[in-house]
Amino acid sequence: MTSLSSGVAPMPTKAQIRRQRNRKTMSVLRIVGILLITALWLLPVLWICATAFKSPGDVISLDIFFTPTLDNFAKAVGPNYQLGGRIWNSIIVTVGTLLVAIPSSTAAAYAFSRFRYPGGIVWPIGLLATQFVPAVMIIIPLFILFRSIGLLDTPIALIAVNLSVVVPYAIWMIKGFMDALPMDMEEAAMMDGASRFRALIDVVIPVAMPGIITATIFCFVVTWNEFFYALILTSNDSVTLPVSLMSARTDKGDEWEIMAVIGLTIMVPMMLISRVVQRHFLKGLTAGAVK
Amino acid sequence: MRDSALKWGLLAPAILISIAMLFYPIGRSFWYSLHDWNLTISPQLGPFIGLDNYVRLLTDDPQFWHSVWVSCVFSFFSVFTTIVVSMLMALLLQGSRQLEINVRSILVLAFAMSPALVGISWRFLLAPEFGAADAVIGWIFPRWADVPILADTSTAMVALVLVDVWHWAPYFMLTFIGALASLPQETIEAGQIDGAGRFRIFFGIVLPQLKGVLAIAILLKTIFSIKMLEQVITMTSGGPGSETSTVPHKVYETAFKFYDFGYAAAMAYFLAAAMLVLAMIYSRMLFGGQK
Repeated sequence: MTSLSSGVAPMPTKAQIRRQRNRKTMSVLRIVGILLITALWLLPVLWICATAFKSPGDVISLDIFFTPTLDNFAKAVGPNYQLGGRIWNSIIVTVGTLLVAIPSSTAAAYAFSRFRYPGGIVWPIGLLATQFVPAVMIIIPLFILFRSIGLLDTPIALIAVNLSVVVPYAIWMIKGFMDALPMDMEEAAMMDGASRFRALIDVVIPVAMPGIITATIFCFVVTWNEFFYALILTSNDSVTLPVSLMSARTDKGDEWEIMAVIGLTIMVPMMLISRVVQRHFLKGLTAGAVK
Repeated sequence: MRDSALKWGLLAPAILISIAMLFYPIGRSFWYSLHDWNLTISPQLGPFIGLDNYVRLLTDDPQFWHSVWVSCVFSFFSVFTTIVVSMLMALLLQGSRQLEINVRSILVLAFAMSPALVGISWRFLLAPEFGAADAVIGWIFPRWADVPILADTSTAMVALVLVDVWHWAPYFMLTFIGALASLPQETIEAGQIDGAGRFRIFFGIVLPQLKGVLAIAILLKTIFSIKMLEQVITMTSGGPGSETSTVPHKVYETAFKFYDFGYAAAMAYFLAAAMLVLAMIYSRMLFGGQK
């Protein structure tokens, strides 16, 4: 970048030649490194995607070329695997979680950002600290609770548990944006006769939108992919996509092509949003860390 | 006056969620841990036995201590490898040309994949005979050509660690890229002018400035590694034998295979105590300056 050369090109010195050669090897190494990384991360995913279109015979062959078939998809939506129903369950749980999590987190974020509570910052930190508690500890009493009130294997139970995972993070993601928003803007709105609530809706939320979007994407990714709680809480009617992966393990052996179909279904939304994820989701999780 | 209604009203949904889905189960688990309660024997809470479960855990359960050892080995290697690999990836891919952005989008996909899908995909890829990754490994390292990777005591843990690295490295790479971008460019340029080589600049100038981000990344990854459960369930089921059965997996099996809820809750609390120490370090790092 820092080019010191003027119009005249001087003879390169030995050191310069060596540096140039060094630079060349470095850039070759760089390209090799980038290719290697791409291969290591892309090929496994591609292989799984390809497997979804293979006949059972092709699945266990290592040939790169095969005749694609849609039979696996037909089989997956059939009565044994009920892919359609699983997709529907996943959508209900994800949408339900988002519909509760985002408004309640936004409200709490604003509250923590603008009001003083006895105990102060202890509460939002304590909320975040619960996320370090192992999932198995949370699920044992909830399993008993849901069993006793007949909510096992329902989307409601899954939505409730997912809320406990996403709300603490979402509050923090949104709160960061609200903290950065100067109080004056709200006060100006309130001066004009708007109630505090109106000021929140009209002034604060639009400005905090990037944080709310980040939190929404985060909640979406986490809930859509959630496996462990759903494994414990569902058995039949409310099985979600990640848990249904396990159903490809049958007595007759693993049906990998079905697993690949389900896997592909889980990945599709992630592929669609991976650009956005790169921009938002990761920023959200690291917002505290980078500061 | 309206303000105070707003103050608590906005917080109410989040409080409700966290009491019902976080604080209640956390407290309830502790209560269970003081009881001898196997769900297969009685659907009601069993007899109160004080700290007997903890005594049994600490003095009379070599299998549990084996899982503690497994968790320590897994966490140490997965944290170390993830951090080193993701730092290397960050250095390679920190640019903002189209190539780097595209490669990063591919990498993010691995991170946005459901952990269950990651585990089950690699179980397929590493399967003997027809696993694509197994074939590649056998081709590069003929020594391992005939080793059933996930069924062999010496390689199952290596595979579990590397798959975890595969899953998490993209996330920490993006964290580090963010941190690298926020470094003051002058410090690096000063090094270049002084004629320092790439390695000198990285270890002497860049790395010391990344100390804070690095510390938090290591801590976060440690917590994620200790909590990691999905890949154990989907990839190895804790096997061969119990060679990859981490503490969360042990708790999961105790609770939902043997339904020994009281004892499982005690185990979960032991794990939580370890996490608590880490969480305290974490919050001190994040919020230490704000007191």
